[in-house]
Amino acid sequence: MATTATLTLASTDIAGDPVNVSKVATLTKAGSTNELDQSSGLNRVHLRSTTNKVLLAANAEGNDLAAKVYIINKSDDASLYLTVTINAQTIGKLYGGDFLFIPWSQTDVDADIEVAATNWTSSTGDIPVEYALFHEDTDFLTNA
Amino acid sequence: MATTTAQLIITSTDLLSDSLSLSSIATLTTAGSATGLTGTEGLGRKKTGSTTEYTLFDASAATDDKAHKIYLKNLSTTATEYFEVQVGGVVIGRIYAGDWAFFPWSADTTGTNCDIDITPSATNMTLEYMLFTDE
Repeated sequence: MATTATLTLASTDIAGDPVNVSKVATLTKAGSTNELDQSSGLNRVHLRSTTNKVLLAANAEGNDLAAKVYIINKSDDASLYLTVTINAQTIGKLYGGDFLFIPWSQTDVDADIEVAATNWTSSTGDIPVEYALFHEDTDFLTNA
Repeated sequence: MATTTAQLIITSTDLLSDSLSLSSIATLTTAGSATGLTGTEGLGRKKTGSTTEYTLFDASAATDDKAHKIYLKNLSTTATEYFEVQVGGVVIGRIYAGDWAFFPWSADTTGTNCDIDITPSATNMTLEYMLFTDE
């Protein structure tokens, strides 16, 4: 029994031969085979801020413990994107339908994960965002 | 136009009191459009000979502010071995043995170059990686 994350990357035409990469990871605590035992659950927010908002607040106690973050832009509009930053560093943009799944070390209290609906306007509508955190620190509470 | 999909499935029967089953499928497209990504550097592997940080992807070599996607996997089977992943000099997290990551990469070069830098925790570890490019 465990929590697993499976990624499948597939394409028949991006290269001369098909791409079919499928990987399964069992979510474990840092440096061990013990399973991650805590989760924020699946959260949903509607983003309409063009400036950064804290989605997950870092906690120094989580420094270098194992944590996994899932974020998806649930907008149907391919042009609407979220800018994702960690510790004020832009990682990338999640366009409508895009997701990410990353480890999160929370190197210090500034390592918040923030999102901004950078090209949102009052006429574009909100950007639905879903996210989940899987982690191990017993004292760690998110701002979810 | 190529069609490339990324599917994520997260499952657990015992993390919560109810079963968890989360599934998402994304078609990888160019920034702000429904046009599929057409570039990739292919699936690669790198065996590290030391614990020195190195640049896996150089932002200046990719088109700035686009919808690139990155896949990383630690092929180690030793639970304590990890790769520390940095974007633009900021630590994102550690990919422990068997873990993988998938995330967008803007490859910004305004201000700080958002290079993808990797630091292995041990020698002779193998990282598997793939970059889908929006050029």
